[in-house]
Amino acid sequence: MIRISDIQSADELLPARMLNEFVYCPRLFYLEHVDGLFAHNSDTLEGAARHSRVDAKSDALPTAQEAVQCESIHARSVTLSSEQYGLIAKLDLIEAEGDLATPVDYKRGAPKSLDDGSLGAWDPDRIQLCVQALVLRENGYRCDEGILFYWATRQRVRITIDDALVAETLAIVAAARRLMDARQIPAPLVNSPKCPRCSLVSICLPDETSHCRAYVACEQSEQTQPGGRWVQPLLFDVGYPAANSESIESAPVRQLITSRDERRPLYLNTQGNHVGISAQVLKIKEKDKLIQEVRLNDLCQVNIFGNIQLTTQAIGALMTADIPVVYFSYGGWFHGMTQSVGLKNILWRREQFRQADSNRFCLQLAKQLVKGKIRNQRTLLMRNHVEPPEQALQFLKALTIEVRRAESLAELLGVEGLAARVYFEHFNGMIKVGSDDDRPRQQNGKHEFRFDFERRNRRPPRDPINALLSLGYSLLAKDLTIAATSVGLDPFLGFYHQPRFGRPALALDLMEPFRPLIVDSAVLSAINQRMVTISDFVVVGDAVALTANGRKGFFRAYEQRMDQLVTHPLFGYRVSYRRLLEVQTRLLARQLMGEILEYPVFETR
Amino acid sequence: MRSSFLVCYDICDDKRLRQVFKTLRGWGDHLQYSVFECQLTPADLITLRGQLKAIIHQDEDQVLFINLGPSEGRGDRVIEALGQPYCRMDSPCLIV
Repeated sequence: MIRISDIQSADELLPARMLNEFVYCPRLFYLEHVDGLFAHNSDTLEGAARHSRVDAKSDALPTAQEAVQCESIHARSVTLSSEQYGLIAKLDLIEAEGDLATPVDYKRGAPKSLDDGSLGAWDPDRIQLCVQALVLRENGYRCDEGILFYWATRQRVRITIDDALVAETLAIVAAARRLMDARQIPAPLVNSPKCPRCSLVSICLPDETSHCRAYVACEQSEQTQPGGRWVQPLLFDVGYPAANSESIESAPVRQLITSRDERRPLYLNTQGNHVGISAQVLKIKEKDKLIQEVRLNDLCQVNIFGNIQLTTQAIGALMTADIPVVYFSYGGWFHGMTQSVGLKNILWRREQFRQADSNRFCLQLAKQLVKGKIRNQRTLLMRNHVEPPEQALQFLKALTIEVRRAESLAELLGVEGLAARVYFEHFNGMIKVGSDDDRPRQQNGKHEFRFDFERRNRRPPRDPINALLSLGYSLLAKDLTIAATSVGLDPFLGFYHQPRFGRPALALDLMEPFRPLIVDSAVLSAINQRMVTISDFVVVGDAVALTANGRKGFFRAYEQRMDQLVTHPLFGYRVSYRRLLEVQTRLLARQLMGEILEYPVFETR
Repeated sequence: MRSSFLVCYDICDDKRLRQVFKTLRGWGDHLQYSVFECQLTPADLITLRGQLKAIIHQDEDQVLFINLGPSEGRGDRVIEALGQPYCRMDSPCLIV
């Protein structure tokens, strides 16, 4: 068997920039260099903008022998490598007099002020500069000092490349290589002031990961205490355990991610529309008449229902902007999606496939998901039922305990089905449109509609509420497929839902706890707030479907729910449901990579 | 977190004017001649500034960025219209 690590570390050159990251935070180095992830924030974009001028043209550096004859050399954006140390560096500027070269590196920020008030360089920058010097030396130049130019204050800091710095740098190179070979992501920094300005913070989730690790650790130690009080292994209903909670209290979870992603989904629902693009603006036309313009910059996804044409140019621009296009049938069946090349972090997917083969792992995760779903169903009944049915609530509570005892996925499926039956039996009690204002309407003289729910049916849905639920689950499966793909996991390989051709099993797994919270709740508000009324339904064969107008109303209800801010029970900060789906999916990735032991299912309070 | 910006420009050359207009159309709503309203994150602002900088001539043209504060919850408070109404679209999704 060829292991990826064997190939990678053998003759791969380590870039100087990555060593800078390693000194800043080893975890950042691991995510960027080993997992191949990158994200921009305003700091990195500004740095890139500054460098675009420096990098506009790259000069050829004469060899050291040629350089001796020259008076002075200014070479910009030169890439050099060192075989001896296995390093590669891109040098912003080299100032050389004969064969004595001085690398100059441009940095966006300000220099460090030392205790005595003089200017100094930040550690990551010093190491990066030393790598540049080592690379220059191997290419025949003499190099005794380097210069760091800090843009913010426009000041230069000179660094002497002495033996101590070289030794320090080589030790760091060795440590970085050890980390690459170890294939184990380092733990996040604890409460570090570096995190808020790090561009990878929403991928790394430093505080959330630490919190989950600490939580499970202290939970387990309590459970195994001989003779000690047994703590229910439920993540959210026990509150903070009192005894071992010091580590948690000392490091509260900071909200380092934005609570909303302000980009919005676009739903294309009008049959026969034609979508083209001109300069970053989508042009939506109906029979050559322009009906709406939408900026790419405003979008996070494009959903297409039925027969709507997209030009290749429009698809190309959407892919470049990393906006997925999702296709549904006219009836709302989720067909598939087009997305850009996407993430290359194959290592995560490898871990996903490995874990999917472990029955123990699948069962453990499935239990968490089902338990979360049942508890959320119960909460929804308690919150919305006209007269919360005490018996059903008790029963659902008992079923969450049953979940813990389940020994196979099949058994779990039975418990889940039982819970669903009880829950849907009482679903009707959450619908609060009086029969007076929504009198059943005659349609073609034979069909009568009313918002009256008996039981869940599908394929096809045979009454208005089932039609809404089916469409809603389809939308949620879509959103989690997008979340799974954007995190870098394979949406088609699940743990609870077994793989089947064309089924986004991972998305279906992840959506279990969110079904009641997002879809059922959106259906209830669509009906109760009359965003969808009884006249928005039609009969097609033996199925009940929504009219184009009714669908618009439901999309609005669904997206309103997705945009709503909710407090995360574990981390205590507020995020929108849409953002939450991404956070939860990233936490699953953290568990797959072995960083946290138990997937923290989202349960609302 | 996005902030609302009024972006106003005065460009001396027709070709550059069209380029600036075309660029800004990708970032915000065209309110009036030479005035756009854009909702920008800090990262967006840097990218947009870079794009416009590459088009304009520093010694002849001018682009002003007027920060109206965070987009969320601002409503229509800071902009008052006389004559033609000013309205701001604010929904969680776009449906066509």
